[in-house]
Amino acid sequence: MLDLGSFNTLQLDAIREVGNIGTGCAATALSDMLSCTIRMAVPEVALVSVYSLSEYYGNPDAIVAAVFMRSSGEFGCSVIFIQKEEDAALLVDLLLRQQFGGAIPSSMPEEVYDSAISEVGNIMISSFLNAVNMMIGTHKHENSVPGVARDMLASILDVVASMFGQMGEMALIIDAELRVDNVKGGAKGGGISSNIIMLPDPDALELLLGKLKVL
Amino acid sequence: MSGGAGGGGTVYHVGMADLVVANAPATLITLGLGSCIGLVIYDTVAKVAGMAHIMLPESRGAKVEKLGKFADTAVPALVSEMLQKGAEKLRMKAKLAGGAQMFAMPGTGAGSDFLAVGARNVKETTRMLSHFGIALLASDTGGNKGRTVEFCTNTWMLTIKTLGRGTSEI
Repeated sequence: MLDLGSFNTLQLDAIREVGNIGTGCAATALSDMLSCTIRMAVPEVALVSVYSLSEYYGNPDAIVAAVFMRSSGEFGCSVIFIQKEEDAALLVDLLLRQQFGGAIPSSMPEEVYDSAISEVGNIMISSFLNAVNMMIGTHKHENSVPGVARDMLASILDVVASMFGQMGEMALIIDAELRVDNVKGGAKGGGISSNIIMLPDPDALELLLGKLKVL
Repeated sequence: MSGGAGGGGTVYHVGMADLVVANAPATLITLGLGSCIGLVIYDTVAKVAGMAHIMLPESRGAKVEKLGKFADTAVPALVSEMLQKGAEKLRMKAKLAGGAQMFAMPGTGAGSDFLAVGARNVKETTRMLSHFGIALLASDTGGNKGRTVEFCTNTWMLTIKTLGRGTSEI
């Protein structure tokens, strides 16, 4: 198996570019859903110990909403769409207003909220995965149905770490931030912020770099 | 790793795949358990308590660097470290929490057995405890919510905080 510690800059750039293409497509999908402009940053690529994933992402106690999908096939990976609870609430609100006009109740049942977040995550992650698989030229991939959770950051990443921990100790994460600017509020203020995180399976990285001709 | 705290003795944060054994007075804390298990074994006479943050059920004979990672390595490691600190096997008792299935996914699509890891963690940890003849006095497992657990040697109680359900003690 590939030694995760020995990536050169060319390889890291290639991995970052894959994340960039995937995030670009996810951003376009989100933009279509919300009919507004989405800003995205160049993804960060980092090698993180699975045991300290939650420290990497900040406050372990923070309440976040997350959508999780597994993609299997030639290029196996896990993708998580994650945002602070306040941001998720704003996003759902914006989405429902977009779809139904102003006629939405001020307080929605949790199920509606979770279902909306799950669907946004589903569309974004699917766009992300389609773009990535197309770029690296895999023949087929199959996505799981989305799983949604709203809980402490640490407990959500705990699940991710356990899954990854079955395969290795270090995880290569590709992390991209998407922002909707023209909205009041949000955890960081001045807009909705969300992240897409991809964790390629350890054996999938070799395929990825091979297909991109940088192995 | 440790620091002073009022009343609860030394406070230890038990990170993912870690295990900590401490003499009383001590407070052992694990933040945000999802599918993982927070296992406590203690001996109230020798006043020793240990906590492990177990991620997966079985090591399958692999070389394990962090013994707390797997149920089948964490339980023996906790027991032997407790024996060294003066505990006795016959007096050891256990409590555990965790093993949630955080992401509810309908059907049995790709990756579903990955996600059932919480239930497998509970089963294997329980099996290991009975293998060592340690009584499991209380547990709070399953569901779809994360847990933060805190074990204090003043009361020998495991406090469990869950989002939306508040705090309980077992």
